[in-house]
This record gives sequence, structure tokens and C-alpha cells, in this order.
Amino acid sequence: MHRRSKLVVALVVACALALFASCGTATTTPGGASAEAGASIDLLVFGSPEEIKAYRSLIGSYEDHNPGSPVRLVEASDRADLLTRLGTGFSGGAPPDLFLISYRLFGQFASRGALEPLGPRLHSSKVLEESDFFPIALDAFRRDGELVCMPQNVSSLVVYYNKDLFAEAGVELPSEDWTWDEMVTKAKRLTKDTDGDGKTDQFGLGVEPSVVRVAPFVWSNGGELVDDPTRPTRFTLDAPPSSAALQDFTDLYFVDKVIPDETSFESEDNETRFTNGRAAMVMQSRRSTSLFRSINAFDWDVAALPLMKKPAGVLHSDAYCLAKSSRNHDAAWRFLEFALGPQGATIVARSGRTVPSLISIASSDAFLDPNAKPANSRVFLDTIPTIRALPAVSTWPEIEDAADVEIEVALWRTPMTGTQLGKRLDDTSRPLFERARR
Amino acid sequence: MVLPLVFMVTGSLRPPGQPPSRTPELLPQNATVASYDLAFETVDLARQIVNSLIVAGIAVPLTVIVASSAGFAMTRLSRRVATLLQAASLLALMVPATALLVGRFTIFRTLHLTNTFVPLVAPALIAMSPFYVLLYYWSFRRLPGELFDAARLEGMGLTGMWFRVAMPLVRPITVAVAVLAFVLTWNDFLDPLIYLSDADRFTLPLGLRLLAQLDRSNQPVFLAGAVVATLPVVGAFLYVQRFFLGESRGAGWLGR
Repeated sequence: MHRRSKLVVALVVACALALFASCGTATTTPGGASAEAGASIDLLVFGSPEEIKAYRSLIGSYEDHNPGSPVRLVEASDRADLLTRLGTGFSGGAPPDLFLISYRLFGQFASRGALEPLGPRLHSSKVLEESDFFPIALDAFRRDGELVCMPQNVSSLVVYYNKDLFAEAGVELPSEDWTWDEMVTKAKRLTKDTDGDGKTDQFGLGVEPSVVRVAPFVWSNGGELVDDPTRPTRFTLDAPPSSAALQDFTDLYFVDKVIPDETSFESEDNETRFTNGRAAMVMQSRRSTSLFRSINAFDWDVAALPLMKKPAGVLHSDAYCLAKSSRNHDAAWRFLEFALGPQGATIVARSGRTVPSLISIASSDAFLDPNAKPANSRVFLDTIPTIRALPAVSTWPEIEDAADVEIEVALWRTPMTGTQLGKRLDDTSRPLFERARR
Repeated sequence: MVLPLVFMVTGSLRPPGQPPSRTPELLPQNATVASYDLAFETVDLARQIVNSLIVAGIAVPLTVIVASSAGFAMTRLSRRVATLLQAASLLALMVPATALLVGRFTIFRTLHLTNTFVPLVAPALIAMSPFYVLLYYWSFRRLPGELFDAARLEGMGLTGMWFRVAMPLVRPITVAVAVLAFVLTWNDFLDPLIYLSDADRFTLPLGLRLLAQLDRSNQPVFLAGAVVATLPVVGAFLYVQRFFLGESRGAGWLGR
């Protein structure tokens, strides 16, 4: 009897293994796909279901034009998932052939020599030319002068504003060259206690406490974020004019009282507050556009960031990177030529969430759709010449995390001067900058 | 525990595509099930449910078999060896799963088993967690030795004693281990994220994570997905409760 029981157990185990092993042998393994020459290539991307859908149709269109060159889409939902997949893939020796990543995160892979530089391929390409792309996006993905990854999108921060609330309060709409002080004045007039209970119900402005949000104002005020943009060793925010910009930023809560407090922000983020008509202005990137298009209750538009002294913006850009260990470099590049060319860029631009890196498509109706909001979509393009990239050293993601906490404390919890905040940012991040140089 | 579930269900009934609500609503205006249709349209939830069921359907029985047989085998060992094994199990429990991530990935890649369900089911071959083995070991140890002596006199082998004598006497433990293993497998996010590449092999947690990326105006769609993913777990919990309630009621009121 017990022999039979043993047999049953053994059979269950064997069946389970055989069943699932057979599931896998029919197709290729992730990254392992590249083991066979001419086999399918893996493309790892992250994004919302709408963005993933755009990539699926991009791949579908590529496969229609290039029969026999399959591309497999590996879907990650957000940045953290993408990094988990990439980290395990690279460490385990099986990264995806191609992946899409922000310039703020690509340093950790580029510095280890894990990426195949794409500059030489772009130079010899008959389909794409360097001048087809926004130079700022290309520059963000260079390492020691060499182009490593191919930028897919380029965007900067803008101010989304609720036109109805402006009209209601009799406040003039933002002009093309409005200043920081004008923004604060407008925000004050738009911050209201609508039900008279002594609590603010409508805020003039919504902005997140982070390096990405602070950086453009530091530059706009004539300051610098770090001591050397190419080989930074420390933040240089503790001296004017950078510290003055920090001061203006943290004054938004303690002095000007135009942004929500920390608890209100945690319970209702800026995007939600804006869609509910309870924030007159919010500083966001192009990504928010698709959410705001669901608003029917009021009219809205976008304006460039306000100036402190000169126009400045902060770069948001993702690029396709090719893993050095992939054995399908040629097939991967063929796909990139399609994906970044006019046909591919048009397909991705239609999702509305990104600004294409290809100049011709960014200035076409595929992006500047006259039938879709915002009416002033050109702002996203007009600001490109003045945007700057953050210093993407290998430890930059950690530096941002640490710095964001400090800015959050200074904005909401402990009032301090711009110089004090600048000093704290320097103290917290210096060891991280140092690690990047090793 | 009930309130979040209620808000999850009522939230999923809000019409999708509208600006998100500021506060949870008990019954949304214009309640609709449109979000459920959209959730199944946006990601392949039906397929992901089937995939999750396949993985759990194999992993859970396998865990019960391996954990119980290992626990029973430990009761047959000398006290000293069993104590050593207990210590080793506790030590193994302390190793964080993430520390083994890359090593495990490399093994499965070398065996060409990535992008299959094998890496998701494989932990069941070692009972998923040493805790389940210990649970069985502690339960079996409490059974009177005379039972097994009698069984041996009847000519019963070790497998028979495990399966026909010991197992029926620890049924609540089996139910508890099965439910814990089910919840662990059903909710497992990290393993599918690392090992599965083809979207048609994705399990439910990966699908849910994708739905979570929808704009906030489509939060009802995400909540609809969450309801679908939670139903089996709540169902398992309710089903299992009667075993435990039955036991305690019997013990307390009938004086068994």
C-alpha cells in the first residue's frame, strides 16, 4: 500500500515538472532569446495599459513591415518593476535585448559597461540622422561623449491651470513670459476658503517637494545644482543665487500659504486636486495630460514655467538602450530604426502621454493635435531649447531619494532658510556623489 | 477588516473615466459594473485568473504533501536529530527571500525554465516554507505513540501511518497550511515579475499591477480588478473558517 502512495507522490511531482517544463520549451526564455541568431528580440518597457497598448501596436506594425523579425514585448508596470526585472536580468546574465529607461536611471547600467553604445550605429544609419532628434535628449544619453542610448521622448515641466477658476476670481491668465512673483501673486488670489469654515478649500498652486521640481528654478535664478554638470562632486545649493531659489520654493507653504499642507497633499495628490477643481495651478510633466483630458467640468490649458531671471526647464526623457550581452544587436537596431523613425514615433505619440524625440513628429499633428487639449500644446516644444538635464551619475536615483526627503522636511515640517536647506542637501548627498566617482 | 473590502467593492462600482472622488462613498452615484468589463478588456484578466489557478492548483497540494511527509518523517527521527533539523529550519526561515533572488534566477535560466510556471511552483517541492514542515512536526508529535504502535502491529508501513493514521487527525493543520500556501501563491508578485516574460503567462498580481498604472480617473477599473483578485482569497477564508469554528465549538460546548 505505501508503495502505491509513494508512486502517487512521485507521479504528481513528475507531472507538474513535465507539464510546466513543456510550457516553456516551445518558446524562448527572456534574454535567452538572444542565444539564437536571428531569433526574436525582447523589448522591456514600463507604463500604463494605454502606453503598453501603444507599444503593442508599434511592434505589430514593425512585424507587418518586417516579416520574420519578431519582437517580444516584456511588460513592466512601473519604474520599480522595470528596475527589478533589469537588475535580476543583468545579474543573472539574461537581460532583455532592448529596454526603455529614463536618463536619470540609466547611469547605473552605463557606468558598468552593460550597454552597447548606439552612436556608431546612428552615424552609419541610412534611416535616422542625429539632426532628426532634439539635441538635449541625445546629450542626456551620452557617456564620455559617446551616445549610448537612443532617446524616445523629451518633455519638461509646465504649469497646468484651471481657466474657469482664473475667470471666476478675475485673475489674468499666465502670459508667455510670466515671472515667479506673478505666479505667487496669482496663486494667493486663487487660494480660498470657499465655505467659510476657516480652512482653505481651494489652493492656488500644487507642486511636489522634489529635486526635479526645484531644479528649473535654481537654474532660472542663475544658480547651479552641482559643482560640475559632467563630473559632479556635490550639490551647490547653499549659496546664492541657488539658495534664494530654494527659499522662494519653501516659502510657498510657510510664507505665501498657497499650497496644501502635508496631510492634505498625502490625502489628495496634486493631479487629483486639480481634476476636482480645487487647485488652480499644478506643475506637472506631459504625463498628466491624458488624465486631465477626462475633465469635463472646467476648461484648462498649459503655460511655461514662470521665470525667476531667465527661462529654464528640467529634462524628462526616456531612451531605448541595448544590452551589450544581447546577441541580436543588428535585429535590435533594425527595430529601433523603425520605432524611432516617423512611423514608429507617430504610433507612440498618439498615446498623448509623451513628447516624441523626433523633431518632425513632435511638430506634426500627431502630437500637436488641434482637436485635443491643451490648446497651448506648443509650450511643450517651445520650452525645449531652455531645458537642462539633471546630472545622471550612477548613484543619481539614490541622491534624488535622499534629497527629496530633505526638501519635503523644509517645505512642510521645519521652516529653514534656503542656505540651511542647501547645506543639508550637501551633507546628505556628498557620500553618494563620492560613491559615483569610485 | 471589512471596511476596506466594502470601499473596494463600492469604489469599483463608480463609473470609470470621471475625476476621482475625494472621500470614499458607500454607494456611488450612477453605480455601474462598467469597470469590470473595462478591467477584463484592458488586461487579460480571464487568462491571468486561469494561470494563477493552475499555479495554485499544483503548488498547494504539493506543499501539503511535502510539508506533511517531511513533518511526519521528523517524528520518526531521534530527538537529537529532530532538534537539529528544527534549528536548521528556523535558520532557513531567517534567510530573506530576496537574498536568493539572483541565485535562483541563474539556476532556472541555466535549466531553461524561465518564462514557465516551474519557478513559481518549485518552492512547493520544499514545502514553500520550513514553517509549514514545523507546523506538521509539532502537530504529529502531539499524537499518542500508541496509535502508531497499534498500526505497526497491524502491519502498516510508514507511508500508511502518515497518510491514513496521522493525516486525518491533523486535518485543521492541513487546512491551515493549504490556505496559507494558497494565499502566498495567489498573491506572489515577485516571482512572476522576474520569471515570466510573455504577457499570456502572467498571473493575476502582475495584471493588477498594470491596472494600478491607469490614470486616477480609471481607479474604479483597478478596484474592479482588485475585487476579482480578492474574491478567491475571501472565499477560501470563509470556507476554511467553518473547520476552525467547528473544532472550537465541538471542544467547548460538547466537551469533546
